[in-house]
Amino acid sequence: MDDEKRNELKKIIMDTKTLPTLPGVVNKLNTLSENDKSSVQEMAKIVSSDQALSARILRLANSPSYGFYRVSTISNAMILLGVNVVKSLALSSSIFEIMEKNSVGLWEHSLGVGVAANLIARKLGLPECEEISTAALLHDIGKVIISLKCSDAEREIHRVIREKRVYSWEAEREILATDHAEVGNWLAKSWFLPDKLSEPIAYHHDVTLSENHRIKTSVVHMADVIIKASGFGNSGDYFVPQIQKEAWNALKLDDQLMVEIVEELEDKLVEVKNFSLELQGSDATTG
Amino acid sequence: MQKIPLMLTKEGMVLARDVFRNDSATGIPICGKGTVLTESLITRLDHMDVQSVYVSGHPVWADGDRSLEDMLQDLDRRFEKVRHDSLTTKLYDIYVKYLKRSMGDDGGRREAE
Repeated sequence: MDDEKRNELKKIIMDTKTLPTLPGVVNKLNTLSENDKSSVQEMAKIVSSDQALSARILRLANSPSYGFYRVSTISNAMILLGVNVVKSLALSSSIFEIMEKNSVGLWEHSLGVGVAANLIARKLGLPECEEISTAALLHDIGKVIISLKCSDAEREIHRVIREKRVYSWEAEREILATDHAEVGNWLAKSWFLPDKLSEPIAYHHDVTLSENHRIKTSVVHMADVIIKASGFGNSGDYFVPQIQKEAWNALKLDDQLMVEIVEELEDKLVEVKNFSLELQGSDATTG
Repeated sequence: MQKIPLMLTKEGMVLARDVFRNDSATGIPICGKGTVLTESLITRLDHMDVQSVYVSGHPVWADGDRSLEDMLQDLDRRFEKVRHDSLTTKLYDIYVKYLKRSMGDDGGRREAE
């Protein structure tokens, strides 16, 4: 019964006709990036031809989730963030747009987790910090899809969270027989995101399921826990998840590191709040 | 740490962040974090069109600002499902200490170190 419900839902959710539109640019970008001979400049030119998309990508590239500021051109963004990151930002930019407007709490939560993940990754000296930030920005993308595709179910989910005082994934499983991590994974798969992005999205609640990218998944897990501890943004429920021992061990965390991470993160979150308020302010004046 | 309009700054407050011209976080800072504000410094910042600064601690209270007790209560509420877990409780303890220090009445001197 639950399996049936789940498959039914998967069909509805993955119905590409009503999925947030993939800019045509992204397909061209996919073809180009598979070709070894194509240059960053060529790819940047393709993205730049879509002005609205470029604007959204640059806005995300300049968000506090990445360490650098003032990325002013798409080719800079590609060099600094990597083609993969820009590609996934292009894919998710339409979703982010919806999130910024309709779900400021979730948008702030995602930005916050992006910032926290970047901070942890840098502090631990991990490779591919930008990919980790992107995975963190996208980790709750399943929630946006659920809200887009099943708004009635979403209301039910919120009611269950309030009445039973459970985590959002518990409420989602009760109502939908799946949860936002799995839905996010379906989406990541249908967009052909690399598994270094899809694994953290799929397994940020249980890092032991992550086979190839346990470290990246653990960073996103920890970042999610810390942001919820901080009370920054609103991810749907306010309960701090339990830190998974496996994640803690995979990252070789200790008490002193955690103190430093919290301290530096809280300092940065002031900026993140301002960034988010600025975006909402500019949206209010332009649209 | 708290962001307040320059108008509300008082002698003795400690800058929690570098101050930049025109409030933009680029270029060379005109006054470093950790600096203790004086009347003449505040006047100079005013002449340079600085609108607001970050100061240590929580020296200015406005309507709607939440007290340390409120914040600690919210923290307890957020952690209510995981207090049995020793790892997650470590994070709880770190946050309790952090909140107490950042809201503390030591004028934020330790934060500026």
